[in-house]
Amino acid sequence: MDSTSTTTAAEPGSQSTPSQLLFTGNGKEYFGIWIVNLLLTLVTLGIYSAWATVRTKQYFYGHTLLDGHRFDYLATPIQILKGRLLAVGLFVIYSMISSYFPLVGAMMAFALALLVPWMINQGLKFSMRMTRYRNIRFAFRGSYGEAMVNFVVLPFVSIFTLYLLMPWVLKRIDAYIHSNIRYGDKPVQVQLQGKEYYAAALLVMLLGILMMMLLGLAFSLVGGININPDELGAVNFGMFLIVPLYLFVISALQGIYQALIRNHILNNAQIDEVAEFKSTLAPQRYALILATNAAAIVLTAGLAFPWAKVRKVRALAEATQVVLLPGADQVLDTAQQAESSFAEEAANVFDVDISLT
Amino acid sequence: MIRGYFYQPNSSRVQEAIARLNDSHIAVYADDECVCESSVETLQVSAHLPGQASELTFTDGARFVPLDVAHRWSFQSGKSSLLAKLESNLVLIVCALVATPVLLYALLFKLVPGIAVTAVQTVPDAVVEQMGQQSMALIERTVLLPSDLSEKEQAAVEQLWLDTVSQLDLSAQKYRVDVYRSEHFGANAFALPHGQVVVTDELARLLADNPDALRAILLHEIGHVERMHSVRLASQAAVASIAIAMLVGDMDIVAEVVLGSGSALLDLQFSQNMEWEADNYALAQLHRLGYSGEHFAQALESLAELGEEHEQSWLKYLSTHPSLQERIEHARSYTPSP
Repeated sequence: MDSTSTTTAAEPGSQSTPSQLLFTGNGKEYFGIWIVNLLLTLVTLGIYSAWATVRTKQYFYGHTLLDGHRFDYLATPIQILKGRLLAVGLFVIYSMISSYFPLVGAMMAFALALLVPWMINQGLKFSMRMTRYRNIRFAFRGSYGEAMVNFVVLPFVSIFTLYLLMPWVLKRIDAYIHSNIRYGDKPVQVQLQGKEYYAAALLVMLLGILMMMLLGLAFSLVGGININPDELGAVNFGMFLIVPLYLFVISALQGIYQALIRNHILNNAQIDEVAEFKSTLAPQRYALILATNAAAIVLTAGLAFPWAKVRKVRALAEATQVVLLPGADQVLDTAQQAESSFAEEAANVFDVDISLT
Repeated sequence: MIRGYFYQPNSSRVQEAIARLNDSHIAVYADDECVCESSVETLQVSAHLPGQASELTFTDGARFVPLDVAHRWSFQSGKSSLLAKLESNLVLIVCALVATPVLLYALLFKLVPGIAVTAVQTVPDAVVEQMGQQSMALIERTVLLPSDLSEKEQAAVEQLWLDTVSQLDLSAQKYRVDVYRSEHFGANAFALPHGQVVVTDELARLLADNPDALRAILLHEIGHVERMHSVRLASQAAVASIAIAMLVGDMDIVAEVVLGSGSALLDLQFSQNMEWEADNYALAQLHRLGYSGEHFAQALESLAELGEEHEQSWLKYLSTHPSLQERIEHARSYTPSP
């Protein structure tokens, strides 16, 4: 793509060919980063974790390429460390109070619910602001009221509908998050359909019930041999199998749901005159990746984690195309001017992640 | 001459460009036109990451990223490449693989309990009192019912308690006993940090004919209070949560699972150690007051017999307590240290 052209407007209707999102990292490199991060974090009693976070994010963002340009992660370790220490400090006070004064702790838990929307907004704002593509930072503009409704009130209400409302609530949450993201001065637009969420939830629920029945059958067959209460060993052995199997099944179901929803969101999202997105993530393939990842991590006592993470990120990138529209050259960075120092500090405290890809 | 992309400040515009470096001066050309120049001292160079070219950021926010992903600049400080060298050093990676589990163990099982025990000494009495009362209020509301025992049976427990407390020279104001009915606890007794001990109807009935055995159980509970076990558990949980919050910061789900089960194990080990401590307290006091470990063993045996009927609660009992059989043997073989 010839990026030097300034205002040579494209003829109407001329669509650029989609660009493939690329992930160029590899498991071997990331394994080195991961293990060194872990070691230094333990040696420094957790202080290094801020540097570890930044380095990991820089590795993954910097290896994600669109149209030949990489993404950048901009937070500094000191920023993360300050926020983390403050957050950990608050968390400690909270857990001390709830263990020494259980009654006061119960009241504090209620007060915490009022803080959730604020934390989510500031967290999203922070992670968006720390993401850059071609010298333009992302931004997030959500309101407390809307976040309160979507993240606290509606999920609570849906309990009383026996969770029948939940897929619709999840749709609202995704719509809230994505339609408040901006790329520089250009807002993201999404048109989400509740029925896609209901279809995905129903499919996953049916598959879940099926899997549970199959597992139950398998276990009663295996367990039938050892129905002897004296043999505690047999029970323990069963427990040993149940946990990895449970993780395997849950990961697979998660993969199916996430793939369906991700395709739906990205295929219905656009940044006006800048980009359109296309996601073709095959649910069964993604389910297999997540399930085998979980199995590999459990079987290697965690050592397969770097390989698994790279494998997942690569699969997500491979399934993503972006059509860059002519306006992509004319986005202006405004995010920096619209931030007060309070928002920054607040955002620093609760660096909630949402993944970019 | 280095080929790369030039990113204009605060804009999404990108130009294919060439950077020329002369001594300590760098100039970026796009379409044979100089778009940016600077001395290298004012440049910011990005961190050294494997597979990613080091980019230059100019003072106005413009950036130059070389096309060659392995590109490093001659004026880049060696410090930033240190980490990258460590991360690709095979010897270090192997060492890290060995050291990480060892460190994790030392941190969770040595350092955290150590700090927790020290922290307990700084907890003021008023806090302990509040902690006990509030816990009791919660427990009472959720799983305790008024006792079904007759006045006489209750008075027997009370009298046994008063005798024991006065024999130990403990404050009868601080140490008090209450009898409750509870389906949740079954035959059981538990102590609250401020000195209140709760005995369930089932336990009182079970040991009604053997007051010395009940006394042994009460001594065990007093042991928990005297050694401040609840306060230690709470402080342990607090310290562990700090450690975990700090560590999990960057370790993702796997570490959360590992650390989570590690801390559960830790709680278990901690609570088992406390049971042994309370047992030893009870046994030492039994000997001092002229009774023997046999009474404690009898009490545990009564509980063990009960346990076989309720498989479930017995398993639950096992998880936080050492095996009953071991405790019974320990009680029988106990000789007080001089």
